[in-house]
Amino acid sequence: MLSHLLKLMWNKRRANGLIFLEILLAFVVLFGVYAFGFYNLDRYSSPLGFSYANSLGVRVDIADDLDSLASIELQRRMVREVGALPGVASVSMLGPINPFGGNTWRTGSDDNGFDLNTMMVFADEHFAETMELKFRQGRWFTVADGAGKYDPIVVNGKFIDQYYPDRESMLDSVIQINGEKKIVGVVEDYKYHSNFAENMPLTFFTQQEYNPDGTDPFEQLVIRAEPGRTAEIEEPLYNLLTDLTKNTDVVIWNMAQDRIKANRPVVIPLIILISISAFLLINIALGLFGVLFTQISHRRAEIGLRKAMGATPVEITTQFVLEILIVTAAGLLLGTFFAVQVPLLELLPIPDRFFYLGIVAAIVTIVLIVVLCALIPSRQAARLHPALVLHEE
Amino acid sequence: MIELQNISKSYRTDTIETLALQHMNLSVPAGEFLSIMGPSGCGKSTLLNIMGLIDEPTEGRVALAGKEVTNYNGSKVARFRNEQLGFIFQSFHLINDLSVVDNVELPLLYRRVSGKERRRLALEALERVGLSNRANHFPTQLSGGQKQRVAIARAIVGRPNIILADEPTGNLDSHMGDEIMDILTRLNQELGTTIVMVTHDERMAKKTHRLVRLSDGERVS
Repeated sequence: MLSHLLKLMWNKRRANGLIFLEILLAFVVLFGVYAFGFYNLDRYSSPLGFSYANSLGVRVDIADDLDSLASIELQRRMVREVGALPGVASVSMLGPINPFGGNTWRTGSDDNGFDLNTMMVFADEHFAETMELKFRQGRWFTVADGAGKYDPIVVNGKFIDQYYPDRESMLDSVIQINGEKKIVGVVEDYKYHSNFAENMPLTFFTQQEYNPDGTDPFEQLVIRAEPGRTAEIEEPLYNLLTDLTKNTDVVIWNMAQDRIKANRPVVIPLIILISISAFLLINIALGLFGVLFTQISHRRAEIGLRKAMGATPVEITTQFVLEILIVTAAGLLLGTFFAVQVPLLELLPIPDRFFYLGIVAAIVTIVLIVVLCALIPSRQAARLHPALVLHEE
Repeated sequence: MIELQNISKSYRTDTIETLALQHMNLSVPAGEFLSIMGPSGCGKSTLLNIMGLIDEPTEGRVALAGKEVTNYNGSKVARFRNEQLGFIFQSFHLINDLSVVDNVELPLLYRRVSGKERRRLALEALERVGLSNRANHFPTQLSGGQKQRVAIARAIVGRPNIILADEPTGNLDSHMGDEIMDILTRLNQELGTTIVMVTHDERMAKKTHRLVRLSDGERVS
């Protein structure tokens, strides 16, 4: 039966050209959407590595004319007095790279032949506690570490996995990143750009690295409020900080809302792509319905003939479903040929598995839609009465 | 071979009931070549459809090849049609997207015959109707007479015991009609196939063993 249908569909190839093209186009679009979607879903499902709940971000403007001692003292006062506000659980100061802020600092160093490239974050000794960072090994740096021979750093797990995969522990190791630094802790992930960001090698530095001469103070704070109290601390927080800095240029934002904003560059295109795909699939379904109904109305005599020759209703239904599946298979084969070129030729910087997953998901979706759309007209065809349709001409 | 007892067929709409056949009795022994004649609308095709199990009588009993088939339905009736009956239609009903040989193979598709065997039997049937040289042509490349010969090959490829022909020469000129009749007569004589043919042509009917006349759904001779 299959060879008979293959022959039939080959001979009808012109009539089925449009369905073939429609399937091919749908596959290409779905493949792209699924690959992009799976890739981002995978990113989204990997942990941020820190907590943004009940957290506020704050930017202050510290006067440029303060000397280094005065600015450091002001920083300490801010941490102390903000921490003492009712409803504040923890507070930390950090450099220009804040969670969901969109900024990136990178550095590259040669560590005895190792080319170390890492993203940089500058923070004070309270940062791990405030952000609820999870440690794989070691601890966060303390004020006492500043008195040691080497400046302390904390790296993320990705840093170790990428550059020192064979080392059991890098704790207390001294490596070259902008000079000799001692690793005092290893945290798990820290995806500070957004949920969809890639987990890259990253190093946390002290304020000493950011501002060796002490003239450029940290001007950002992260504050963890007690659960449900973020809104109520905003006003006293603003009043306190404007008072301490003698400057009204204090910006406060909710970190949970900032996360939503940071995710938008991926979420919005994804929603648009999914909408386009859904629209396309609806069009394909309607198109297939129409084409199959038309084909069946043109082939009533053939259906009657086949039934007269001994075809059962199930065989008629199967024939029409298989016919459309043959055209679909041809479109999917060509589409798959094009799609596999993307990972094979490494056209996009996305791991191969997402493209292969995209191919499988697109095939499954299209086949399901085609079968569903083909079933109703095909069953209608199977119900045609041969005595009637054979005498219609 | 064919036994129709007290067959009636009526078509009902909301307001009207039309009687197509009334209390028809007919017996066709194996190997007979029977023709049925009558004016348009007298129930000839309905009778043939009932014999071919593609229509059901409102009343009465049908037995084919020694089997009571009145209550056959679904896949059982499909299998029986496939194995016991061959159909020839006035308008040929060939599938234009299939080659001649593929058209002839059609009944064997529903009999789970291997591709090789299908091809052998189809070519043999085409040989019998003198069209083996056109096996790979398409129906649109054939004349009316040739198309009907393909339809005959399709009807005999499964070696059915009964062939039902609904005005097989109706769309052909007299020369081609004679050719088709010669083939049917030969099939009847050589293979012993029982043939029931509906025709409007008295000349063709005279070439068969027996003629049955219908009028207004009733047998008149």
